[in-house]
Amino acid sequence: MPSNKQKNTTLQQRNYQQLQQKHEIKRPVLKNCIKAFFVGGLICVIGQAVSYFYIYFFNFTEQSVGNPTVATMVFFSMLLTGFGVYDRLGQFAGAGSAVPVTGFGNAVISAAIEHRTEGFVLGVGGNMFKLAGSVILFGVFSAFVVALIKTLLVMWGVL
Amino acid sequence: MITFYRFILFACLILLSACSNNEPVKDSQLALMKTTNPKPVIISNKKHSDRVEEIKKDVSSHPELYDVAVVKGKKDTLVVYKVKHLHRFRMKAIEKNVNKMLEEKYPKENFTVSSDYKVFLEAVRLKEHIKSSDFSDQKAEKRFNEIVKMTEDMK
Repeated sequence: MPSNKQKNTTLQQRNYQQLQQKHEIKRPVLKNCIKAFFVGGLICVIGQAVSYFYIYFFNFTEQSVGNPTVATMVFFSMLLTGFGVYDRLGQFAGAGSAVPVTGFGNAVISAAIEHRTEGFVLGVGGNMFKLAGSVILFGVFSAFVVALIKTLLVMWGVL
Repeated sequence: MITFYRFILFACLILLSACSNNEPVKDSQLALMKTTNPKPVIISNKKHSDRVEEIKKDVSSHPELYDVAVVKGKKDTLVVYKVKHLHRFRMKAIEKNVNKMLEEKYPKENFTVSSDYKVFLEAVRLKEHIKSSDFSDQKAEKRFNEIVKMTEDMK
């Protein structure tokens, strides 16, 4: 039985959809997932190496090493975005390069480069956090909610 | 793409240049990555060596732990361990168990228990410094107190 969507289409449109489905290139989902897994994993391995570097050579403990590690990784990805390397990595790995924290640096700098022609204030300044702004907003808000829940659980003696 | 390959090559060169040193490898150099199992260290009162060995044995008997370092200072006894990877979800519970076991078995001792890699690394470094002749007991005690303070800052 044809669905509502198909009912509203003409025969010509349905024929066209069939033709389009026949020629549509299938997305290599598994291949993309494997690529994302390995590249994302590699970025995490580099992050782990950076955190060991800070633990080994500086006075950071396992708990406090997160901040400098994240800052370093974001800085690296910003530099690589500026040199045009991270874009290629993003094309190859997709979510593998966008999901780790390095994707945040990429989002900031690529927006800044894109709007550079509109000037420093309204172009770069106004659009720099166009993509990354939502990450910061929801990150801060969810951290607030989690902290609130934890505080309440500690107050009630659950934790 | 050539820039990318150059970057990879440069990174590999930097990493490999670190391996060219022919000096003997110290335990502390690889303490973050492999099991070092350092011998227990006593800084001031050397007559408690049996007890320190016993503490290490007791803590090592926990199946979730795989590398234990014990350092005994004048007042405190520092116990640092590494937790097996799949048990790291239960770090707090493990720390609580180890603390409880130590306090019950050795009520007179004042224990500082930690599972932090940095504290472990510093304990191994302290052991190596003590082994080298130019490190006095006073210096060792001072460094030991600094390490203990490091664990307190984490709480």
